[in-house]
Amino acid sequence: MTTTAIVVCTWSGARGEVLEEAEAALTLGRKVSVALGGELQWLVVGAMPEGGAEIAQRQGVAVLENIEDAKLAGGQADAFVEALAQYCAERSPRLVLFSQGFDTRLVAPRLAGRLGSGVVVNAVDIEAAADSPLKVTASAYGGDTRVVYELAGAEPCIVSLLANAVLPESVEGAASPSVRNVAVDLSSVEERIRVVEAARTEGPRLEDAEIIVSGGRGLSSPDNYKLVEQLAEALGGLPGASRPLVDEGWVDSSRQVGLTGKITRPGLYVAAGISGASQHMAGCGAAKAIVAINTDPDAAIFRYARYGIVGDCLAILPELIRAAKK
Amino acid sequence: MRIVVCVKEVLDPDAVNNYALAGRLEIGDDGKTLTQTTIPQLMNGFDEQAIEAALLLRDAGAECTICVVSVGADPANQLRHASALGADEVVGISSPVAEPDAHVVASLLVAHIRSLGGADLVLCGRQASDDDQGVVPALIGEALGMPVVTVASSVELADTSALRVTRVTPDGDEIVEAAMPAVVTISNEIGDPRYPTAANKLKARRVKPTLVGPDDLSLDADALAPRVLLTQQFVPTVQGNCEFISGDTPAELADRLVARLREDKVLP
Ligand SMILES: Cc1cc2nc3c(=O)[nH]c(=O)nc-3n(C[C@H](O)[C@H](O)[C@H](O)COP(=O)(O)OP(=O)(O)OC[C@H]3O[C@@H](n4cnc5c(N)ncnc54)[C@H](O)[C@@H]3O)c2cc1C
Ligand SMILES: Nc1ncnc2c1ncn2[C@@H]1O[C@H](COP(=O)(O)O)[C@@H](O)[C@H]1O
Repeated sequence: MTTTAIVVCTWSGARGEVLEEAEAALTLGRKVSVALGGELQWLVVGAMPEGGAEIAQRQGVAVLENIEDAKLAGGQADAFVEALAQYCAERSPRLVLFSQGFDTRLVAPRLAGRLGSGVVVNAVDIEAAADSPLKVTASAYGGDTRVVYELAGAEPCIVSLLANAVLPESVEGAASPSVRNVAVDLSSVEERIRVVEAARTEGPRLEDAEIIVSGGRGLSSPDNYKLVEQLAEALGGLPGASRPLVDEGWVDSSRQVGLTGKITRPGLYVAAGISGASQHMAGCGAAKAIVAINTDPDAAIFRYARYGIVGDCLAILPELIRAAKK
Repeated sequence: MRIVVCVKEVLDPDAVNNYALAGRLEIGDDGKTLTQTTIPQLMNGFDEQAIEAALLLRDAGAECTICVVSVGADPANQLRHASALGADEVVGISSPVAEPDAHVVASLLVAHIRSLGGADLVLCGRQASDDDQGVVPALIGEALGMPVVTVASSVELADTSALRVTRVTPDGDEIVEAAMPAVVTISNEIGDPRYPTAANKLKARRVKPTLVGPDDLSLDADALAPRVLLTQQFVPTVQGNCEFISGDTPAELADRLVARLREDKVLP
């Protein structure tokens, strides 16, 4: 008898990927596998992350699978797509669920194109029931709306789960998963994209920061961004920015928080002179506490904020820097 | 060389955002379409920047034909804008499927590119600002057997047959080389798109986009079978519970906020 396989696929070393996100994808994968009476499998491409076996067990993973191949080490897409296509041909899963990182945004749809599958990225939830199509809820219009898609096409369905959309929940008393190494033949893959200059992570990443202080257009001039940097430093956090500051060249694009920037999850997010557009909130809405400083009492950011100050951030930031140092 | 730029017409995302923030974004009786008829249609911002990327290649001396193509109900306005910006050919493709998904759109674009005898470079936006998916370019690349380079902030010719592309990754800029033909998706970091000159705008008013229908393209049933069906759209609710800090001076506001954050253990 063949069982329905629900596969959560993650890979180590991927840019922007966080282990907690892999765990969130496993929680969602488990929900689908329970609904369909299937078996939850976790496919790790590349080296097994530290603590992987414990995560697999508390997420109720039945089979922990691993693909390792030297060709996958370069981190480019051709080898990944080929490896996953071979895997799917052999195992015929019902669903391949990725936890979304930068590279997933290319690998997931390319895999769908290769297999003739339907694909949805930016997913926040999946509803599954026996004998009916999977229903995937995804974020659209930068977060202003949610859309529900039904997936048709060849199996597996391919879904990429947005960061911070699902809270990991563990199961009690699950058996430890069986472990399987998956063999793929990548000898014919010649990566068509050659990295000439690799990206260099400069310092700590916004994705991992516990405290972020971000500035927006309300700062009104590039010089004032230093107030944001100083407050971030005083609080032991990192500075971020809304997209207009990047577009205007005030700050480097690695500072951008939002839909097309960093998806962060700090304990504290201070937004100074930021209006709270959905595309910005997509990158900080998961913060445990948001502090908003804005001259406009009706600014949208106050709807997301835990604490608000209606006022001029140029006057308040220097005082906050002082108060934070006390 | 031939550069094909794929552009999508979308609802102005800022207008959608303003409606959403005002709590006035509504879904129609079909349960999936935004009802605001006053929201203007625009060219997807990243796609306008993809045209810019093509024009920058031309400015840098590349001899190229720039062909802008759009799948949509009535893309004439966007195509005229593309023409005013400097596109050599503008083509509208009408979909035989009422609600084409990314797969159907990609099939139509691919069939058109094939009918042109192929392309050396296919430029797309990194994602459409309505669905935010960024799936179409990857599907085009798979179907045409071309490598796909995503989220580019600059595209140059490395030599006559290869591209040098800077990608904006979460870890910083990455520079890659890819042999042509290739698909490249453009991000906002490429910079603001230029404005068309008044003279070109005037000239473009008379431009009639070439209209291509499914009969002009050879497509089988599978190519036109959607895989992803939009069944519902809704506006998520945001629960506000903001505690406003009051005070008479910036110093007082700052002290009270920091005290409150420490009290609530948000700050140590
Ligand atoms: C497809 C797409 C993707 C996008 N991706 C992103 C993204 O990843 N990240 C992102 O940030 N944006 C993104 N955007 C842009 C987004 O829609 C908004 O335009 C942007 O976030 C607005 O930035 P802002 O809040 O700094 O500026 P504004 O919206 O102009 O807001 C400035 C705010 O500052 C306030 N203000 C003015 N003066 C002061 C003062 N002295 N003190 C205090 N407050 C003051 C004003 O009341 C206002 O609320 C995207 C847009 C699209 C269409
Ligand atoms: N209907 C369309 N016509 C032409 N190009 C499109 C269309 N839909 C998507 N694209 C291209 O594919 C990119 C990504 O779109 P999407 O996958 O819908 O987010 C867009 O930025 C366009 O370059």
